[in-house]
Amino acid sequence: MNTLSRRHFLKLAGASAALAATPSILRAQSATSNGRVVVVGGGFGGATVAKYLRLWGGANAPQVTLVDANLKHVSCILSNMVLDNTRSLSSITFGYDNLQTKYGVKFVQGKATSFDNVKKLLKLANGTTLAYDHLVLSPGIDFKPIPGLNFSKIPHAWQAGPQTTLLQQQLQQFMSSSSPGNVIITAPLAPIRCPIGPYERACTVADMIKRKGKPGSKVILLDANPGIMAEVNTFTTAFNKTFAGIIDYRPSVQVASVDSDRRIVQTTTGSEFQASVLNVIPAHLAGAIVRTNGLVPDLTAANWGAPVNPLNYESTVSGMSGVHIIGDSQGTGMSKGGHVANGEAKVCADAILRMLKGEALDMGPTVPAACFNSVTSTTGSWLSTLFAYDPVTKSMIKVKAPDNPTGTFEAPAATGDNYERIFDWSANLFADTFA
Amino acid sequence: MISRHHSMFTVLSIASLALATPFATQAAPPPGRLLASQCAQCHGTNGRSVSGIDSLAGESAREIYDEMREMKNKTDHPDDIMHHIAAAYTDQQLWLIAQYFSTIPK
Repeated sequence: MNTLSRRHFLKLAGASAALAATPSILRAQSATSNGRVVVVGGGFGGATVAKYLRLWGGANAPQVTLVDANLKHVSCILSNMVLDNTRSLSSITFGYDNLQTKYGVKFVQGKATSFDNVKKLLKLANGTTLAYDHLVLSPGIDFKPIPGLNFSKIPHAWQAGPQTTLLQQQLQQFMSSSSPGNVIITAPLAPIRCPIGPYERACTVADMIKRKGKPGSKVILLDANPGIMAEVNTFTTAFNKTFAGIIDYRPSVQVASVDSDRRIVQTTTGSEFQASVLNVIPAHLAGAIVRTNGLVPDLTAANWGAPVNPLNYESTVSGMSGVHIIGDSQGTGMSKGGHVANGEAKVCADAILRMLKGEALDMGPTVPAACFNSVTSTTGSWLSTLFAYDPVTKSMIKVKAPDNPTGTFEAPAATGDNYERIFDWSANLFADTFA
Repeated sequence: MISRHHSMFTVLSIASLALATPFATQAAPPPGRLLASQCAQCHGTNGRSVSGIDSLAGESAREIYDEMREMKNKTDHPDDIMHHIAAAYTDQQLWLIAQYFSTIPK
């Protein structure tokens, strides 16, 4: 098996001659004695774990192969700013060149479909197999189907890329038309990726309407949740004051079906809403490779993530040793998003390096959940939580403080300074992940 | 393995030992490395910032530690995100983080 997989690896590496001329960090990649880690998904979780395994592994770093269906990753972080042309899509698009040249990560473009954890082989849709000692799955999310919903007409824009562009174009067309109308955004039941995202997006669109002066036009936010999921004070102020008369926030409204041609949402209580622009964000599921390979024992559970040990993100399902799930598809109960996925990836990388050397795990990992977000085109806010491992419950819990009794603190007000911080924060988060 | 229950003295000794040993030959990862890596989302990989946020690499451990302790105890500034972040760490954790960044070249 080793010989076979090694041949596969070299074939995929494409150039054995190139190895001779590379610096030591790259040469180390050819030795399998330090172990082989295959990472599926090149977003904030996957790219970070690949980078840190190589960065921290030093001369004894394992081989790391990163597999993604796409050659580049488009960040969801800042993607709401593409909708009003504050940022371009290309400015939030990242390739894997740095991971390959600076850290010696091997990149393989392909769609990972399944794995055999007895033979320790990952299978790609094109028939290729990749051998691993540890498999890290960071596939992001899938969506629960909604009857009638056609994403080529009604964008979710909840995985950034062409969907973001489609929603941006529809909003642009709406803004350039003289007739009033409603932009309807639907937010799904928690837990979701980026819990502030739907509210930030409603504000972005409301700000476009307010700045342009488009009388009679509104943003209707249909939230399946009983209330605002995150930054309650910030968004309550935004909805009731900053965008009073523009944002119509309706909690506890669940989508039953969609008429994608007529842009109509039917709710579970029988109401109908017709939109000029309709943005439906469906409820989430774990990524396909996690969901369809037995890593989520109860596919109907409200917490749709895969159960893992938060000390190393290894699956707790029997027979799945050496299979780790990080990012939005893991089910620790921590908030979901790129910042958190990056933090989980470092805990996972540290743990895998220890496991490969037979060392004990770090029993005190922390993972910060923070985000900086816009409220208007000149003001922003933030949210901060620190999760720490609790040995009693064997779970990640929010660290509380006397002046932070819930363990989650949001900016007291939307300010211009906080807006500027969005770009300082994201520049370092992007670089920490992809550069 | 550093637990929160270790005394400051123990933490200091382990951290100083780590300084004397090159990372590559060390049996266990340097203490504080994993904790400190969770600052990188905002402060850059290894504390080398590429934006307007402060770099932490190569600063003296004492300086970083004192500054984080000051932020931690400054409860009259709820608008400072660093107050809330610093307050979520124990002093021992803050010291390990500070020690780690002090070993990274600027």
